[in-house]
Amino acid sequence: MNYFEFFSLPLKLHIDVPALEKQFYVLSRKLHPDRFAGKSPVEQEAALAESSLLNDAYRTLKDPIARTQYLLTLEGVQLEEQSKSATDAARATGEQKKQIVPPELLEEVFELNMQLAEMRANKQMGEDEPELRRELMTAKDAFDEKMVQAQEDLEALWTKWDSALEVHDEAAKLSARDGMVVLLNKRSYLRNLVRDVNEALE
Amino acid sequence: MAYSDKVIDHYSNPRNVGQMDKSSDEVGTGLVGAPECGDVMRLQIRVNPETQVIEDAKFKTFGCGSAIASSSLATEWVKGKTISEALTISNTDIVKELALPPVKIHCSVLAEDAIRAAIGDWKKKNHVAEGAEVAVAAH
Repeated sequence: MNYFEFFSLPLKLHIDVPALEKQFYVLSRKLHPDRFAGKSPVEQEAALAESSLLNDAYRTLKDPIARTQYLLTLEGVQLEEQSKSATDAARATGEQKKQIVPPELLEEVFELNMQLAEMRANKQMGEDEPELRRELMTAKDAFDEKMVQAQEDLEALWTKWDSALEVHDEAAKLSARDGMVVLLNKRSYLRNLVRDVNEALE
Repeated sequence: MAYSDKVIDHYSNPRNVGQMDKSSDEVGTGLVGAPECGDVMRLQIRVNPETQVIEDAKFKTFGCGSAIASSSLATEWVKGKTISEALTISNTDIVKELALPPVKIHCSVLAEDAIRAAIGDWKKKNHVAEGAEVAVAAH
């Protein structure tokens, strides 16, 4: 049973989180160990297993990113960062390995890292501190904005996924799925860049 | 985590850091990345069109010490090899040479991907079919 099924939810990404929370508390009470104190060890064991599944399912589904990642794994997407087996296969066959990160995104991340390195180097020289700080702040704002944009883009893809699911449009589902993979990768890069800028600002 | 001496050596004294002209037909560029750790790696090779020998290699990597060491080592290894020889370099070779721990294996995979992507780019520019045997005597 997957986490969506556990909560009797369709495989949709827009979720009524307050309703999920309510359901979580109801089920938590139902599965509370106190209620099984007088029951057989087998029943206690089963309640414990159910309760642990409940916690995992709730934690995963209430978080927008974890929920998206979970759905993608259900849809057969491997989110592992650098597949060794795919590289080994490429060497054995002479075929090109399909990279999970699109080239445009890599170019962008590479450029952003170049800027960040330059800022760090300037900072080490200890020159023109106020101006450098401003530059870093501008960079931080830009990254924060990109993070917000990424979240909006992700929610748009949720909508695309949810409606494709309703009408059983497999092509649209696939395109939404692949879009989400790209977006989650982009988000990971952005999160790391934001962290690096924050470090540089400290 | 403790880095091996070889990783520290490549990290503090990276070989072949730099950039080549992406638009040149003799240059192949591989840009690869691992989103989770935020690594991006660019590896470039300059190939002699007559002999298909990689005469020069440059890299620029943003990432952890192991990612930098893996790509630095990769540039050292591909230099002087023909492209078909370079395609036999494996992530396992890099792991062994640098004594990378299991959690850093993906760095070596990334470096191999970068080599393969750079060679792929060069082949595409020079209209060499994927997987085609290179008409140069094996060394």
